[in-house]
Amino acid sequence: MSDRSGPSLTFNSADPRASIHQATMQDRRTAAILARRRRRMQILLCQILCFVVLIGLWQWQTATGHVSAFLYGSPSGIFAALIATIRDGSVWTDLTATALETLAGFALGNIIGTTLGLSLWYSRFISQVLQPFILALGSIPIIALAPITIIWFGTGFASKVAMSTLSVVVVSIIIAYKGAMGVDPDQINLMLSLRASRQKIFRLIVIPASMTDIFAGLKLTVGFALVGAIVGEFMSSTNGLGHEIFKAGSLYAISAVFAELVVTVILALVLSSIVTRVERWLLPWRHDLS
Amino acid sequence: MTSLKRPDTPLQALDLGKAFLTDAGEELDIIRSVSFTLERGEIVSLVGPSGCGKTTLLNLLCRLIEPSQGTVLWNGRESDGVPAGVGYMLQKDLLLPWRSAIQNVMLGLQVKGGTRAAHRARAKELLDQLGLGGFADHYPSTLSGGMRQRVALARTLAPEPEVLLFDEPFSALDFQTKILIERDTLRLVREMQRSLLLITHDVEEAVSLSDRVIVLSRRPSTIVSEHRIELPGDRSNLIALRESTGFAHYVRQIWTELDVQ
Ligand SMILES: Nc1ncnc2c1ncn2[C@@H]1O[C@H](COP(=O)(O)OP(=O)(O)O)[C@@H](O)[C@H]1O
Ligand SMILES: [Mg+2]
Repeated sequence: MSDRSGPSLTFNSADPRASIHQATMQDRRTAAILARRRRRMQILLCQILCFVVLIGLWQWQTATGHVSAFLYGSPSGIFAALIATIRDGSVWTDLTATALETLAGFALGNIIGTTLGLSLWYSRFISQVLQPFILALGSIPIIALAPITIIWFGTGFASKVAMSTLSVVVVSIIIAYKGAMGVDPDQINLMLSLRASRQKIFRLIVIPASMTDIFAGLKLTVGFALVGAIVGEFMSSTNGLGHEIFKAGSLYAISAVFAELVVTVILALVLSSIVTRVERWLLPWRHDLS
Repeated sequence: MTSLKRPDTPLQALDLGKAFLTDAGEELDIIRSVSFTLERGEIVSLVGPSGCGKTTLLNLLCRLIEPSQGTVLWNGRESDGVPAGVGYMLQKDLLLPWRSAIQNVMLGLQVKGGTRAAHRARAKELLDQLGLGGFADHYPSTLSGGMRQRVALARTLAPEPEVLLFDEPFSALDFQTKILIERDTLRLVREMQRSLLLITHDVEEAVSLSDRVIVLSRRPSTIVSEHRIELPGDRSNLIALRESTGFAHYVRQIWTELDVQ
């Protein structure tokens, strides 16, 4: 849209030119959507091609014996292992266990992290005091905390959730805080000129303005939450995808390891697509930006 | 001093000065001493070279920053904190991208309180007056620069502020868009009988819109001169106004004062 249309949008909105203007905007929009869709199809096609070639090469090399299927697994072996776990139903219990741990850790970590991160906006002093502690906590490799979480939370569900939460919470704090502090100071001045209270500024400006960053954080931390849960399962567990991967690995059942990995990847993709969908639904204004 | 406090004058700046402390620890004098008034219903422009402290002065007036010296009086009184009834508008439209045009216009009303329905009605009325009635539910990202600034103008006017403080609000717009929004601003400010302090570096804009133009010097800034703009004919016809001889005279005069210092 250009400002040349300026004269058509002064004074009265009944001006027919304004609606013509909207109509051409609509046409252009449709054309752009079609072009984007075509491009997306091309990308998808190339992605499928890459996948098929890779799997084909792998299968061919292991079938001819150039590459050891025992050490590297094979696509057909992975497929067979997948079918087997689906048949005996174990994949569902493992999937559910890991998914629940991940979701609980993801939710807990992000609720704590976002609340803390955003509320640090209220006091520059407190945030500066806490900064080194947050950074120190962030630099701890989460796996190093696994033994302690087992001592504190036992070997069951709770310790996996704790690992998952820990993997999420620091990143979540930092992202929410950055989002809150990234608000344009002129925007704050505008609110101050309206004599808005700090609490109103927080609610009307800071929280919604941070949403873009917070959702970027959610997309990032959904993966971290899954890693945390799986690391927790590696340490001690009776079920879960991490448990199965660990067990199959120690039995040199490489195809079974890959089969569980495939399930894990599917879980990760499903979880992150849920986050994307929720974002689209909660932040409708973001569509218009691209 | 007491005789200077005029309760009928919306805004008085008395011997205002501001120095910033630089990172090196030195005092940087930005505004030396500035005194002026804004009377009820008056449009006054402040022009000055870029970086002379115009934005700083505006922030001093509405108490977003503290002066190093001098006083600001709102209706004859010193206000602690931001005074009530200020409409603050910048070059940046500062529209909230997650709010539709009408919701952006409602922002100031929402801060003041009241019912949502009343806010919506008032916002719609202003959008209609600014020719944006059909775009009420559009998000800012789908509007042109000129339209966005119109929405910002509606947002500023919605809470019916007594005094408008505008900081180069039209300087990012192309000439045609600018003239149109200037004309609408002028019409609404006059209709609503508001007082407007307009900061600009555009001398022609200052002369065409104002009752008075105050010229500021380079940093540390002081007032160089003040011009009462008296032009014949219809002041709302901004294009015709620019062709009158008086207009060119004022513009030339102010340009000289801006440059020769
Ligand atoms: N908070 C601050 N600290 C130090 N210097 C500042 C600060 N704010 C503005 N300045 C300086 O004051 C001068 C005037 O700025 P400004 O008021 O924005 O000028 P103008 O609006 O006339 O272009 C600039 O040189 C700027 O660098
Ligand atoms: Mg400025």
